[in-house]
Amino acid sequence: MFYCVGIIWGAIVTKPNIARPLLAVIAVLVSSGVAQAEIELIPGVVKLSTTQARQRLVVQEKESGEYLGQVTESLEFGSSDESVVKVIDGRAVPVGNGTAMVTVKSDAGESQAEVHVTGQEKEFRWSFRNHVESVLSKAGCNSGACHGARAGQNGFRLTLFGFDLAADYSYLTRQARGRRIVPTDPGRSLLLTKPTGVVPHKGGVRLDVNEIEYRVLAEWIAEGTVGPSDSDAVIDNLEVLPRYSTQKPGDSQQLVVLAHFSDGSTEDVTRWAKYTTVDQNVALVGDHGEVSVVGSGEGAIKVWYLNINQLAFVSVPFENNLPNNAFENEPTANFIDELVNEKLKKLRVPPSPLCDDATFVRRTFLDSSGILPTHQELTTFLEDETPSVEKRARLVEALLQRSEFVDYWSYKWSDLLLVNSAVLPKSAVDSYYKWIRERVDSNLPWDEFVRQIVTASGSTLVNGAANFYSLHQSPEDMAETVSQAFMGLSINCAKCHNHPLEKWTNDQYYGMANMFSRVRAKGWGQGNTAGDAKRVIFSDTQGELLQPSTGRPQSPRPLDAEAVPFSATGDRRIVLAQWLTSPDNPYFARSIANRIWANYLGVGLVESVDDLRVTNPASNEKLLNAIAEYLTENKYDLRALMRAIMLSTTYQRSSERVDGNETDTRFYSRYYPKRLKAEVLLDALSTVTGVPTEFAGHDKGTRALQLPDSNVANYFLSTFGRPDRIITCECERSDEPSMTQVLHLYNGDTLNSKLQSNENVIAVSMKEMASSKDIIQRLYLSAIGRYATEEEVARLSEIIDADTPEEDRRIVLEDLYWSVLTSREFLFNR
Amino acid sequence: MLRIHGEGSVTTCDGVTRRDFIQVGSLGAVGITLPQLMAARAKGAVDDGNDEKNVIMIFNLGAPSQLDTFDPKPDAAAEIRGPFKPIQTASPEIMLSEILPKHAKVADKFSLVRSCYHTAAAVHDTGHQMMQTGRLFTGGINTPHAGCAMEYLRGRRDDLPGHVVLPEPMGSTGGNLPHGQDAGFLGKAFDPFNLMADPSKPDFKVPDLLPPQEIGDTRLSRRKKLREVVEDTVKGFESSENAKLLDNNFDAAFRLMTSAKARKAFDLASEPKAVRERYGENRFGQCCLLARRLIESGVRFVTVNTFLTVFNEITWDIHGSKPFTSIEGMKDIVAPMYDQAYSALIEDLQQRGLLENTLVCNLAEFGRTPRINPAGGRDHWPQCFSAYFAGGGVQGGRVVGASDEIGGYPAEQAVQPSEIVATIYRSLGVDLETTLPGPAGRPFPVVDFGTEAIADLF
Repeated sequence: MFYCVGIIWGAIVTKPNIARPLLAVIAVLVSSGVAQAEIELIPGVVKLSTTQARQRLVVQEKESGEYLGQVTESLEFGSSDESVVKVIDGRAVPVGNGTAMVTVKSDAGESQAEVHVTGQEKEFRWSFRNHVESVLSKAGCNSGACHGARAGQNGFRLTLFGFDLAADYSYLTRQARGRRIVPTDPGRSLLLTKPTGVVPHKGGVRLDVNEIEYRVLAEWIAEGTVGPSDSDAVIDNLEVLPRYSTQKPGDSQQLVVLAHFSDGSTEDVTRWAKYTTVDQNVALVGDHGEVSVVGSGEGAIKVWYLNINQLAFVSVPFENNLPNNAFENEPTANFIDELVNEKLKKLRVPPSPLCDDATFVRRTFLDSSGILPTHQELTTFLEDETPSVEKRARLVEALLQRSEFVDYWSYKWSDLLLVNSAVLPKSAVDSYYKWIRERVDSNLPWDEFVRQIVTASGSTLVNGAANFYSLHQSPEDMAETVSQAFMGLSINCAKCHNHPLEKWTNDQYYGMANMFSRVRAKGWGQGNTAGDAKRVIFSDTQGELLQPSTGRPQSPRPLDAEAVPFSATGDRRIVLAQWLTSPDNPYFARSIANRIWANYLGVGLVESVDDLRVTNPASNEKLLNAIAEYLTENKYDLRALMRAIMLSTTYQRSSERVDGNETDTRFYSRYYPKRLKAEVLLDALSTVTGVPTEFAGHDKGTRALQLPDSNVANYFLSTFGRPDRIITCECERSDEPSMTQVLHLYNGDTLNSKLQSNENVIAVSMKEMASSKDIIQRLYLSAIGRYATEEEVARLSEIIDADTPEEDRRIVLEDLYWSVLTSREFLFNR
Repeated sequence: MLRIHGEGSVTTCDGVTRRDFIQVGSLGAVGITLPQLMAARAKGAVDDGNDEKNVIMIFNLGAPSQLDTFDPKPDAAAEIRGPFKPIQTASPEIMLSEILPKHAKVADKFSLVRSCYHTAAAVHDTGHQMMQTGRLFTGGINTPHAGCAMEYLRGRRDDLPGHVVLPEPMGSTGGNLPHGQDAGFLGKAFDPFNLMADPSKPDFKVPDLLPPQEIGDTRLSRRKKLREVVEDTVKGFESSENAKLLDNNFDAAFRLMTSAKARKAFDLASEPKAVRERYGENRFGQCCLLARRLIESGVRFVTVNTFLTVFNEITWDIHGSKPFTSIEGMKDIVAPMYDQAYSALIEDLQQRGLLENTLVCNLAEFGRTPRINPAGGRDHWPQCFSAYFAGGGVQGGRVVGASDEIGGYPAEQAVQPSEIVATIYRSLGVDLETTLPGPAGRPFPVVDFGTEAIADLF
């Protein structure tokens, strides 16, 4: 490697761009055997529509149509017509109306951008909506810590991040007896004297009188504090350039942010946009969009301007030396592998080879159905001489049809839907669970499953899905839970103000919540678990939810969809359900696809699976879109997606690392071992020892994964991270190993009592007078899904047969079982 | 679903690890190997020899109302000052609310900071993060709890864990964010030992601390030997943090359960009845007593959570409406047990000569709105709140900083959460420029550069 520049650690870096040695790039290009690099001037089209307009120009290195790093050295800018545009300090500056080209030359080539200059004859005025609010946001005035707090600060309030223009305008110009603005002498306005520190300001000095931000406020006051109006140009979208680039640790990149307005104009808002990094381990970002690349992986920078969020993605390949043909012979079973390999190739992460058959069998049993293969099932598979690809496919098919598969996924959706007798009466729990289970069993398409829940009516004991509305009794709670469970969206921030990390506004929140304002029930109001459990859910033909900030109802509408007329008397939830499950709603398919993916691969494409907001990108966006589309094309048949996943090479890779993929935890270059879930682990202990766990109130032989309810006391399950089913969040479940768990395995009564039972497999082996070797093999096959090696058999036999009097054989075998059932090979799926 | 009140929510090689209780699991991942760590300790770079100091952190989950507890404003309007009267205390400088009469008697032992504030979203979780770790979690950087950082910096004194959380970690408080009660970016190897039991229960024991009777030493060592053989062939786990950690947990657990000292430390039943009653026979009281026993036995850092969630129990979270209590409700339910246990702990530590080396700090995630809400409660208010400190080099009987006339904003010497955590580190003798290995080996100072401890406390 030629580069490997010293990496800048520390707080946010705001220093100027570091020179990028072009030579290094060429070296990389040669080594990867691809075309020569070129440069590109961005933005490619520049619009300058006012006298104040300026456009920052950035020169980007480009290869095979993709952006690499920024070029800052020996650049020569020029203009084809200096009476139209000039380039000053790397910025295009308008001179007169017209069209011209700006050109940049460097050692690596040259590039041009088209410049359209308009509006130079018009007098320019700063706009309250687009400029004053931007300055207030950028300076942090309207943040939650300052005047954006609900109660404001020191008597002066602004709406959080400027979500209510009219209110802000009134606070600024009408309150405090107008002292905030002094039209006759703008410089004496509190709006200017406070943030510049001329008079004491608890928030410190926020503005510099020599900077443009001061000028915007001062000139806006001098021009008569014109307020927001309906004729203002309104921001349509935000564009960040370069949106995708491939960089190296040590690189610096200046982002360019363009705001496109409803009147067709475009402004360079790089200076006033706000930046945050999504992953500090890959890239840092300064106040004005200067990105510093600090590590390998997929980084992203969140850019916020006038309540719109956008992302710029930075790919930083790992510093591995992979041969050119590293991926040539990589097997691809389906579209999943193509997209995973594309990402691995780009990031230069080598994949691990396929896992062996025994590992595959145990893995798929656990991931799809939460059970271990029996030793017969395993040996039958291993001895079957059908080609591996074929018999693996056959196994996947068989697993998808098993009753344990239904147990497993019914349990999973019961987690999601909070089937819990601590918050629902027992008979309601049974009805809810039965409803879920029947639908998993018949493989009801997921969209229909969700529609039935969202539109559920009738008795909760007859229609189990109606219990959704026993659990969630306010329109806000219903709207939040539907968004969370079925779209992976947490909209609750927007309950009080526009969501700072999302596109959802307070109006949209109340529009969404109002979709549920007519849901009624007989039997609400008493405690959740009180009474006879019977609630009857129905939809009323009237009733609205008031939005607290306006005191009026918002037009009912599903987030960003069309509003339903107030006058319509039909069940609004039907409209909502149609929108929710429509292929046009990108969140629905992505959310469920990501949940399924995370179940099998251990790590969601978006992490966490409950956090699909726009500013939390997937580690492989193309792949997430592809599996979501696959699901839509297959009419939301979840088993179809599961099949595609299990048959992919990606899923079938070994968990053992190869040189270069040790640190990968997000790109699926190997299978990531996962600790068995609490319920799966407990069931596995029961199966291997032959001693079922007894659960109070349930038939003997009921497995943990068959429990309809999370409210069944069991120390093992709670210690190993069973979710409480109180809030809709995958985060309720924990698969992390803790000391408490280990102490329980050592000393607790769960495993020890199974080992001591007179009716366990050890008792059977004793009766059969089985040899140590046979016992070890049987244990290995049933617990960790493989044959013990000769060495293992020899070493273990030596310990168990050594100086053991016959009467002690039983306890020695218990100790043998203990040692295997506490081993990582048993506790993990790998 | 979530119900947020106030400002809304945001939404080495194998052989070495097995034989050594120092949990190198995640060290490997952050670029420090066990030998390097050992070398660092040998040179004194890590353990500076100043390791007599301890901390008991009492975390008042829910967040007490500053006006009704530690920062009364008798001259403010009725809708601000609330229903309680102020009382004189053992310190001429300190006035407290009448609901804390036992605190008043030991007020010469602790000092109050009445000007704490933070600027993050007014949900419980953010305050939990900042007050326990010194930083808000952003950009994937989860700073460790101070107790976990200490375990990393100084290891364990003995077989006992370096940091114990009583009775268990905080649960849900509505924000769905991490609470800053674990080792964060240091890796789970430095997570605290969570008791997971209520020490006030008559049959209290540390879950599974001791092997069952029938498993004697012979069987225990055979199990260990057999397990080592089984584990020997696993190669695929080297790259899994969780798998490495589990292995380390087996070693640490073995040492813990075979340690006579640990057995004794957790044996609350050996305390005289009078002592148990003095602390109060409730969960918080017995946790405080257990904290004292653990410190006495060599645990360096004990975190006691006064409450575990704001949803299923009555806490300091006095919004007024159900499921929360009102201001008045605090007087009967929360304050008496809190008042009794705290005063007992301070007196007991003092009598045993432990207070000098043990910092007891009482923290919360924020304060409460100066104006009483229509439901007769107070909502979240991070703009101003109180914390207090005793022992560990802190001088008692002082008030540091002050709030304005309504307890709404700091008026003098505003103190941020990072300064609170810096104060804890200072009491423990940790140089504030000491760094911890963050993600990808990036060094993070224990608190941000430039942050200082609250000097006026010492």
